[in-house]
Amino acid sequence: MLKYLTKRSGIYLIMIFLTTSAGYFLAVSTLKPAVLEQEKIPRPTPEQVAASFRGLGLDPDATPWERYIGWLGGIITRWDWGRSPNGAFVNAEFADRVLVSTRLFIASIILTLIIGVALGVYSAARQYKYQDRVITSYSYLVHILPAPIAYFLVQLGAISVNETVGQRIFFVTGISTPGIEPGWPAFVDLVAHYAVPTFAMTIFGWAGYQIAQRQYLLDNVNADFVRTARAKGLTRNQAIRRHALRVSFIPVAQSIAFTIPAIFTGGFFAEAIFAWPGIGLWSIQSIGLQDVNVATATLAYGSVIFAIGAILADFATTLVDPRVRVQ
Amino acid sequence: MSTNISHTPAERLRDAGLYAPGDAVLSVRDLNVRFNSENGVVHAVRGVDFDLMPGKTLGIVGESGSGKSVTSMAIMGLLPETADISGSVRYKGKELLGLSDKAMCKHRGSDIAMVFQDPLSSLTPVYTVGNQIIEALTVHNPTMSKQAKEARAVELLRMVGIPSPKDRLKAFPHEFSGGMRQRVMIAIAIANDPRVLIADEPTTALDVTIQAQVLEVLHTAQEETGAAVVMITHDLGVVAGMADDIMVMYAGKPVETGTVEDIYYNPRMPYSMGLLGAVPRVDTANKQSLVPIEGTPPNLALPVTGCSFAPRCPLASDACLHGEPEPVSVPGSEGHRAACIKTDELSGEANAHAIFQAPAKPVSKFDGVARLEREKVLELKDVKKHFPLLKGALIKRRIGTVKAVDGLSFDIREGECLSIVGESGCGKTTTLLEIMEFHPDQVGEVVIGGVSNKVATDSKTKMAMRKEMQMVFQDPTGALDPRFTVYEVLAEPLENLGMPRAAVRKRIMELMRLVGLQADHVNRFPNQFSGGQRQRIGIARALAVNPKLVVLDEPVSALDVSVQAGVINLLDQLRAELGLSYLMVAHDLSVVRHISDRVAVMYLGKIVETGDVDEVFDNPRHPYTRALLSAIPVPDPNLERTRERIILQGDLPSPLDAPKGCNFATRCPVFAALPAAKQEKCLTLEPPLASEGQQEFACFFPDGEIDADMLVVHA
Repeated sequence: MLKYLTKRSGIYLIMIFLTTSAGYFLAVSTLKPAVLEQEKIPRPTPEQVAASFRGLGLDPDATPWERYIGWLGGIITRWDWGRSPNGAFVNAEFADRVLVSTRLFIASIILTLIIGVALGVYSAARQYKYQDRVITSYSYLVHILPAPIAYFLVQLGAISVNETVGQRIFFVTGISTPGIEPGWPAFVDLVAHYAVPTFAMTIFGWAGYQIAQRQYLLDNVNADFVRTARAKGLTRNQAIRRHALRVSFIPVAQSIAFTIPAIFTGGFFAEAIFAWPGIGLWSIQSIGLQDVNVATATLAYGSVIFAIGAILADFATTLVDPRVRVQ
Repeated sequence: MSTNISHTPAERLRDAGLYAPGDAVLSVRDLNVRFNSENGVVHAVRGVDFDLMPGKTLGIVGESGSGKSVTSMAIMGLLPETADISGSVRYKGKELLGLSDKAMCKHRGSDIAMVFQDPLSSLTPVYTVGNQIIEALTVHNPTMSKQAKEARAVELLRMVGIPSPKDRLKAFPHEFSGGMRQRVMIAIAIANDPRVLIADEPTTALDVTIQAQVLEVLHTAQEETGAAVVMITHDLGVVAGMADDIMVMYAGKPVETGTVEDIYYNPRMPYSMGLLGAVPRVDTANKQSLVPIEGTPPNLALPVTGCSFAPRCPLASDACLHGEPEPVSVPGSEGHRAACIKTDELSGEANAHAIFQAPAKPVSKFDGVARLEREKVLELKDVKKHFPLLKGALIKRRIGTVKAVDGLSFDIREGECLSIVGESGCGKTTTLLEIMEFHPDQVGEVVIGGVSNKVATDSKTKMAMRKEMQMVFQDPTGALDPRFTVYEVLAEPLENLGMPRAAVRKRIMELMRLVGLQADHVNRFPNQFSGGQRQRIGIARALAVNPKLVVLDEPVSALDVSVQAGVINLLDQLRAELGLSYLMVAHDLSVVRHISDRVAVMYLGKIVETGDVDEVFDNPRHPYTRALLSAIPVPDPNLERTRERIILQGDLPSPLDAPKGCNFATRCPVFAALPAAKQEKCLTLEPPLASEGQQEFACFFPDGEIDADMLVVHA
C-alpha cells in the first residue's frame, strides 16, 4: 500500500510540475502588469515601472525562460512563490485564502454527499412513484439553474427571514463580524455567517449525486445477483439494500473524489456572492490584475487538490470493490 | 406427472386442491402469466399443469420464448409486480400464488430453491463466496451460531466439489471460473435442504467438460438432499439422463407431457418429433439430413385461435386452425398427453424425417475423389501465436508468455469440412484470427489457395486471398450492420471487387435464392428477420464473392435447435452444390460430427488428436478426446443412463503455466491411473503428434486405463 502510494504520488508530482510550468509560461507570456501601471496617476514612466517590477522579480524585459528559471529557483531554494505587482508576497496570503475556502466548502461537501446519495437510493427504490418524480424533477431543475441566481435567491430568502423576525439572525455575506468577543458570542456569530452559504450550496449541490446514485442503483436493481439474493429468501428491499446498493456505489465513489477538487478550485461564484475571499476568487482576480505569480500558485494548488482527489478515488474504489486490488 | 387434467380451468384449479396427488411437493394448475408491453398484452405462459413428486426430476424443454423460464420465475414469485399471474401453485398443498413478497420469502431458499443460467452475473461481485452462502443460511436460521454456519458452508462447498473449501470461503466470485461459480450457486441453493430445486438452464453458459461436472454436482445434490428437481433446458441431451418426466413447451403452453421414455421414444406431437429429429447425434455416424422446422414461433401478443404450432406444422389441416387443442391422453400409455388432434395418427412408425420433409443428404462432386487427389485450399505450417504477458505501469517487463497457438499444422482439401474443437481458451478463435490476418510477419506459414502469407506483401495478393476465403460469424445480429438493408450488406463485397451495378443486382438475387430467402426481401433491414434468417444473410454475404473456403466461427451456437437444423442443412447443401470447403470452429460436438469430414481436437494451443471425424469420434485415442466426447449428453434416455462418462477434474489450466511435458497431464484421467514410473514420461517429455492409420494423436499411452475416480456411471 505504501509502495503504491509513493509510486502514485511520484507520478502526480511530475504531472503537477508539468501543468504548473506550462501554466507559468502561459501566464508570463500573456499577463502584462505593466499595462495596468500606466493607469496610475501620476503616470509612471516605463523605466520606473520596469525598475519597480525588477525589484519584485517581475522584470518585463527578461525572456519567459529567464523569469521561469528565477521563479523556479525561488521556489526550490526558499519556497518563495514570488510577489504580486503591488509588492505583496504570494506566500503570505496563500494560507489564509486556502483556509477561507476550506471553511466555506467543507460542511456543504459532506452534507451534499450524504443527502444526495440518500435521496438517490430513496428515489430509486420508489421509481416512478410521486416521491421519485418530485425528487428527480427537483434535481434536474437545479441542474439548469445557474449557481449565481440560485445563491442570490437563498440570500433573498435569508434576508426576508431576518425582516420577518425583525432581527438579524443570518448574515448573508462575510466570514465574521469584526471585533466580536471570543467564546460563545464568537460561535453564534460563526454559525450565523456559516448557515446561509452552506445551506445554499447544499440544496443546490446534491442534484448530481442524487441523479447518479439513482441511475446506478436502478441499473443494478434487476441484476442477476439481486435475483439470486431474492431466491435465497431475502425480500426485494433487503436484496436491493444488501446487494445492489454497494455495487451501485462504486461509480459514485469514483465521481465524489473527482468533484471535490472541482468545488474547491471552481467555487468562485460562491466566494464572490457570499463575500468569502477564498482561493477560487483569488485565482480569477489575479488574472484581472495581470498577476503572474498568484495565477500560477492557484493553478498549482488546483493540481495538487486534483491529485489528492484522484488518489482518494482509487482508495474509495478499492474500499468498496474487492475486484480492484491496490498493488 | 399430472393425472387429473380436465378441460376447464375451474376444474383444473379444483383438482389442484382436492384431487392432486396428495404426496406431490409441487402442484401447478392452469398457470397463466401475462405481461403488459408496448405491443399489447403478451400471454407468456398459457395454462401450465404439472405435479412434482418428491425426489423426482421433471424436465421442461422448449426453445427460447416458449415460457419455460417465466414458469419457473412465477413459481418462485420472482416476476416483476407488473406481471399478471393466475392459476395455482401449491407447495405441499399450500397455495403460493398471491402470497406477499415477505410471506413468500419463508419458502424461497428453504423449501424451493433455484439455480440460474448465467453463473458469471448471478453472484454479487463485492461479497465473498462464504458470505453469500452464509447469508442463505442466516435468512432461514436466524438462531444458528456463526461457527455452525461456517462449518455448514465448508461442508456445502465440499459437497459441490470445490477444492480446499475452507480457504475458498474467503474468495470473491471473480476469483472463480464459470464452472466453479455455478457450483457455488448450487451450494447456495441446497444450503437449506430444499424440497424442490429449480435449475434454469444451469449449464448453458458452460463448456461441455464443465457442463458434465456441473450436471454431476446437481446429481449429487439431488441424492444428498432428496429434493425434487425441475430442470429447464433447451438441450434434449441434458435432460435425457436426468429426468423422470418431460414437459415440452411451445408458445407458452405444454404441448406434450409424459415419462422420459414416452417423449424420446414415442413422441405424439409433431413439434416434439421435429425437435428430436433436429438435434444431431454425437454417437452415430448417420449422415442423414436433420429435420428442419420452418418458420418461427408465434407472437404471443396476438390472440391464439388455433393450434399455435399449426403455421409451422407440415401436417396441419383446416381443423388445426380452429380451436386450440387441449392435451389429451395418448391411448395405451399412462400419463402421456399430447396437445394435437392427430396424436393417434402419429404412432410408433411415424417418421419425423418424412413428416417434415427433411431434404436428402446432398452429394458433392468431390465425394468420389480420394482426399489426396484433391487440391489443398488451405494449409497451415507450424503457425504460432504467442502473446507476451507484461507487467509494470510505465516500463513493461515481460513476465511470461501465453502460447495461444503453439505450432499448428493442418490442411484442408477441396470440398471437405475440417472442424476445430476444444474448450474455450484452447486457441480455436486465435487460430481463425491468425488465418484471417495473413501477414508475412506471422510465425509459421499460411497458404490459402496456393498463395503463401510469406509472399503476400502487396495489397493485390491479399485482395485475391480475401476472394478465396470468407467468414461467417457466431452472432448473426452483431455481424450485420443494423442500418444496412440486406441489399447493401450483400452488395458491399461485390462493389469492392469492382463489379458493375447490373451484375451486382443479378448476383444478389441469385444469393438470396441460394440461401433460401425470398428475393423480394432485399430491401429489408436485418432486424426484420429472425435469427436463423439473419445467419442465412451472413452466409450469403460470405458466398457473394464465390470463395473456395468459408471459415465458420460457431455458425449455429446462437440459434435455437429447430432453426439450427435448417442452417446446418443449408451449409451441407451449399458445400455439395458449390464445392466449398469449410473450416469450422464449434463447441457443440454433435454439430461437428454432423457437418465435418475431419476434426482437429485442440488443447492449450496444440492439436492433440486429428483425423477423419467418424474414426476420431468412434475410436478416440487421446484421453482428452475421450473425455470430451464422453461429456456430451446424448438425447437417448436409456443410453444416457447406462453410459460411462469421464468427468475431468478442474478447469482448463491457464496457458501461462503450461507444464513442461504433456499439457494435459494435470487433468488427464489416464495419467492419474498410471504407475509413477510411467507418469514420469508424461511429465518430462512432450508427446509428438504421431500418426496411426489416418488418425494422428499426441499421447504416449493411448487407450490407457481411465482412473476410477474420474469415471461415473449412473445406475
